Amino acid sequence: MTKYMFLFWTPQHQDAPQPSPEEMQAMFAQWEAWKTKFKDQVIDMGDGLQPRGQILKEGAVIDGPHPETKEIVGGYSIVQTETPQQALAIARECPMAYVPGAAIEIREMMGY
Amino acid sequence: MDHARANEAGVLVDHFFRHEYGRLTASLALRFGLANLELIEDAVQSALAQALATWSRRGLPQNPAAWLTRVAYNAVIDQLRHRSVADRLAPNVDVPPPMEASPAPAQTEVADDELRMLFVCCHDALSSQTQLVLALKLLCGFSTREIAARLFLTDANVQKLLSRGRKRLAEQCGDPYTSEWADPDAERMTARLDAVQRVIYLLFNEGYSSQRVDEVIRHDLCDEALRLCVLLVSHPRGNQPSSWALLALLHLHRARLDARLDADGGLLMLEQQDRTRWDRAHIYEGMMCLHHSGQGDIFTRYHAEAAILAEHCIAPSFAATRWDRIVELYEALERLHPSPIYTLNRAIALAEWKGPQAGLDLLEALTPPAWLVRYYLWDATLGELHRRVGNTARAIRDLQRALERAPTHAERKVLQDRLQRCGARNPNPRRP
Repeated sequence: MTKYMFLFWTPQHQDAPQPSPEEMQAMFAQWEAWKTKFKDQVIDMGDGLQPRGQILKEGAVIDGPHPETKEIVGGYSIVQTETPQQALAIARECPMAYVPGAAIEIREMMGY
Repeated sequence: MDHARANEAGVLVDHFFRHEYGRLTASLALRFGLANLELIEDAVQSALAQALATWSRRGLPQNPAAWLTRVAYNAVIDQLRHRSVADRLAPNVDVPPPMEASPAPAQTEVADDELRMLFVCCHDALSSQTQLVLALKLLCGFSTREIAARLFLTDANVQKLLSRGRKRLAEQCGDPYTSEWADPDAERMTARLDAVQRVIYLLFNEGYSSQRVDEVIRHDLCDEALRLCVLLVSHPRGNQPSSWALLALLHLHRARLDARLDADGGLLMLEQQDRTRWDRAHIYEGMMCLHHSGQGDIFTRYHAEAAILAEHCIAPSFAATRWDRIVELYEALERLHPSPIYTLNRAIALAEWKGPQAGLDLLEALTPPAWLVRYYLWDATLGELHRRVGNTARAIRDLQRALERAPTHAERKVLQDRLQRCGARNPNPRRP
């Protein structure tokens, strides 16, 4: 069994239309369905990340990520499967996969 | 709906997010004033977004409504604090502290807040369309895009109507509705009831309209109108015979909503509808409300329309309908609100009762206004009556004219069928 981290890349443009309350309820139902279907594989639902923070590099601190970058990591989850194909199959059904402009980066965890 | 118990077993009821938008906007507008409406709407939207993100990871809280109340309230005061800091002209604006925990909202309090918001939206200076758009946004929780789709408007149209509406609401300096609302004799509130009923009926008609093919949207709009009307009758402000008659009317129409279209989405005439598909529960509710609306001598157009629908709903078949009663009711309706449309409908009912010639005689005695003559249903009705009487050539002429003006595919199909029954060889509209 291997752990994979799903990094949820979300688009940053200002004029992206916000989902309506009705759409949000539909999304909630989709997350519930995904969680239930893969409850044995999704070992950590993870968390969201604030879009703005700080970057410390070689002693210097700047604000980041830059607001102009097209996409940023908005959150993560962790799944555990036998094969990478299974991890991909789970990602395909994740509600994040249906958000326009969003992407799910699937990275195998080292297990250090 | 009991907000505290609405979400048992960790499942959200249908439209929870949308209805919570309405509840929260109404109660926060009351608390923080109509001048802050846009800020409040943003706060409610962000609270719902936060709910989605949190609840999908951690599961539903014990009381979702209370959770949202607290988060939305805190989002508002957060915005107010930022604004008072940024606004050097008014640095000492009193911003209340954040809410730690909120009690579950009492059901009567919720209903009062929402109904008050509905009355506020029906401001005399706003057109019915603007009132409707405000109600759809603020009370029903639809987004601009969803409103545009439902009313066949553009997003830009809706934005403009909303911003005009909000501006007008913000001009209510000193929030007169707070004091007037509590005063049962306040004239302005009583005068508003008319406008509120009209907006509810308008909302329902958007869902009921024969142009609407999407079943989900039809149900959405009709059910929202029903929900708001139930709110209206349950409150001392709205508990009037006219409101009960309107509620009866909505239930009785709603009962037949799904039976009006055939498998291909074509419109079925009343005589073609499968009456077993009429919703018994809505018919029952409608009849109960109609009974309740009969208080003393009060008889409004809603009473007449509901009573006509009731005749259809209780008739075991088209043929067995009490057409004489329907004719009487149209006469009463015409006395209240003279309108050639009602006369047209009376002629149709009269034809069923006393034969097509009686219907024709009534219509031929009428001097129709220009707009009615242009309305496809005028020619369609004349054509159909001439057909039944046997004036085939005249019938074909009238039905052809109606066909050219029929607004939807479903109505064109009905007219083409009738033309075929006349033996017309080419039942197609003349197109250039």
